[in-house]
Amino acid sequence: MQVAAAAKSRSAPGKKPGVIGWLLLAPMVLWLLAFVVAPTAILMVASFTAADDNTGFPVYRQKPVEDGETAKPTYSLSNYKRIIVDDEGKLLATEEEDVVQIDANGDEQVVGTKKVTRFAAPYLRVFGYSLLYAGIATVLCVIIGYPVAWFIGRAKESSRNLLLMAVMIPFWTSFLIRTYAWVTILAEDGLMNGMLQYSKIISEPFQMLYTPGAVVLGLVYNYLPFMILPIYGSVEKLDNSLVEAALDLGAGPVRAFQRVILPLTRPGIVAGIMLVFVPAVGMFAISSLMGGGKSPMIGDVIAGQFFAGRDWPFGSALGMTLVLMFVLAFLATSRLRKAVADVE
Amino acid sequence: MNTNQNRRQAIFALVSAAALAALSPTALAQSAKPVLNLFCWSEYVPEAVIKGFEKETGIKVNVENYDSNEKMLAKLLAGGAKYDLIQPSEYVVESLIKQDKLEPIDSAAIEGFKNLDPKALNMPHDPGNKYSVPWMLGTVGIVVNTAKIKDDVKGYADVFSGKYKKRIVVLDDNREIVTWAFATQGISANDVTPENLAKVKPIIKGWLKQVKAYDSDSPKTKFLKGDVDIGIVWSGEAATLWKESKGSGKFKYVLPAEGAHQFVDSLCIPKGSPRKEAALKFISYILRPEVSKLISEDFPYTNPNLEARKLLSKEDQENPASYPSGDPKLETFKDIGKAARDIDKMMTDLRSQ
Repeated sequence: MQVAAAAKSRSAPGKKPGVIGWLLLAPMVLWLLAFVVAPTAILMVASFTAADDNTGFPVYRQKPVEDGETAKPTYSLSNYKRIIVDDEGKLLATEEEDVVQIDANGDEQVVGTKKVTRFAAPYLRVFGYSLLYAGIATVLCVIIGYPVAWFIGRAKESSRNLLLMAVMIPFWTSFLIRTYAWVTILAEDGLMNGMLQYSKIISEPFQMLYTPGAVVLGLVYNYLPFMILPIYGSVEKLDNSLVEAALDLGAGPVRAFQRVILPLTRPGIVAGIMLVFVPAVGMFAISSLMGGGKSPMIGDVIAGQFFAGRDWPFGSALGMTLVLMFVLAFLATSRLRKAVADVE
Repeated sequence: MNTNQNRRQAIFALVSAAALAALSPTALAQSAKPVLNLFCWSEYVPEAVIKGFEKETGIKVNVENYDSNEKMLAKLLAGGAKYDLIQPSEYVVESLIKQDKLEPIDSAAIEGFKNLDPKALNMPHDPGNKYSVPWMLGTVGIVVNTAKIKDDVKGYADVFSGKYKKRIVVLDDNREIVTWAFATQGISANDVTPENLAKVKPIIKGWLKQVKAYDSDSPKTKFLKGDVDIGIVWSGEAATLWKESKGSGKFKYVLPAEGAHQFVDSLCIPKGSPRKEAALKFISYILRPEVSKLISEDFPYTNPNLEARKLLSKEDQENPASYPSGDPKLETFKDIGKAARDIDKMMTDLRSQ
């Protein structure tokens, strides 16, 4: 960031950076080449290979064929096929599932069966869950984060920095410690259940930890600041006279929010969504710490391929699929935004 | 440019050079002091043992940790870092021997090797202990919180009878879970074929619905916090629980009647280690009864060092999770190669229903 800013100050805006500009940019360009472009390229090549039977490493060059053996193709699309369809080549599968009802004694009773259709390949299902959890977490982040960002952005200048710091304070400790703290709070003998029982709101502790809800909570908690900060940026820049003008011209608070405030802070919301949704989809560790490993997210499944699964090429293919999904989503949203801007 | 700027640049260059040097493992190797690069499990080698070895021999020990055999294997085989001593489990030792990735060890010549229990030696993964010296043994079994569960739990089938729905913790380890289901069907843990997997798939499906949490790192915490009442965990975790509920007998350890997995973690020297001497010195150091006792006190697995066992407190010696009585049915893991992929596939399928 500083490098880019420095480069700009030396040359007029809009002009191509000169030699000094490029020199100053070089560390970042090299960084991106070495740690983003090159690894992604390796990942892509690996995703088309097959795994070595012993180590699980990608085999870039197959051994020469011995007598009686059939040659294995070195590169194929089989890893991608395995993500999308199951062994029988089916995309969707219908299964019968028990319908469970809780009877008067609180026991579960099977009262019948219903047909459930879902993706046949487990990996597609995990992708689905990850998108769902990340989506819910992002929506919650907007709902919780927007008022907070608004409040901070409209607060007195002297208290603004203090409030912003309060948002950042959790980041002074490590991610793992923050997440373990929630485990202590939500456990059955934990603070939350203790408090609810003491205040007679509940009589028996109820299960909060190791549920999908806990996973979403973990995501919201860890990513909320990434929503608040960009929205705060937009709110702070918002010209108050525009809001006043809307109110003077007879717009109610709802209408003023809808027609003036929301469009003007939209860039902050969009940036926040990008900063929260994208990393939340690929998040790992939260689902095992707070979800008890029962709601696998794609990040955990990808990590698993490189270790116990012993299949690096397949892990690479899953990783590439994730990258591809985001690139497509990004292209789609930027095209959509351009179309909206053209209309306006 | 003024001098101030020059100085700042010089400092920057120095700092970054130092940072780079600190990051590269070869730099560690080249320092004048003799070193030993130990790549071991987290929570398995007490700090006191490392310090004691450094003090006595003047060899600096660089410790790097891993939390699963597969992570260790991936790092070791990918190359790059030079390790002198690793701590793999039995099936990994077997696989590494097969791939010619271990230095042979003349075990009998190591001082203290005679302290080891013959039952822990000469096992199928390394006949004659030509490549490995056992560190600790353990089992995977059932822990019951007897304050909450009064039934007599004998095996896997009892755990998953349906009575303890959502009160169960199991290891977050797909091969372990498959092994338990195999045991209920009388199938060997090492007979991982597509047919056998298909046979146990419905059983595991029924089991997973009852599980409250998967945890390989510290399942004991879930027992202590009251989140679960029963579970299938490492014996070391069970032994710690037993120690913490001193005498009350609150946490009982049961070796499943259907048969249990016995793991053997050993010390091995990776092929091409330039510091084999230092590695052998470390092995012989930990074989001393008074040193081995320290390991047992911190991590109460089954210590194969018979002389060290004699030094343990009576309470530790009688810990049923560390030293189970009777004649349980135990089986060690063999390297299953690419069948690991079939297990992963089936378990991902079942866990993402």
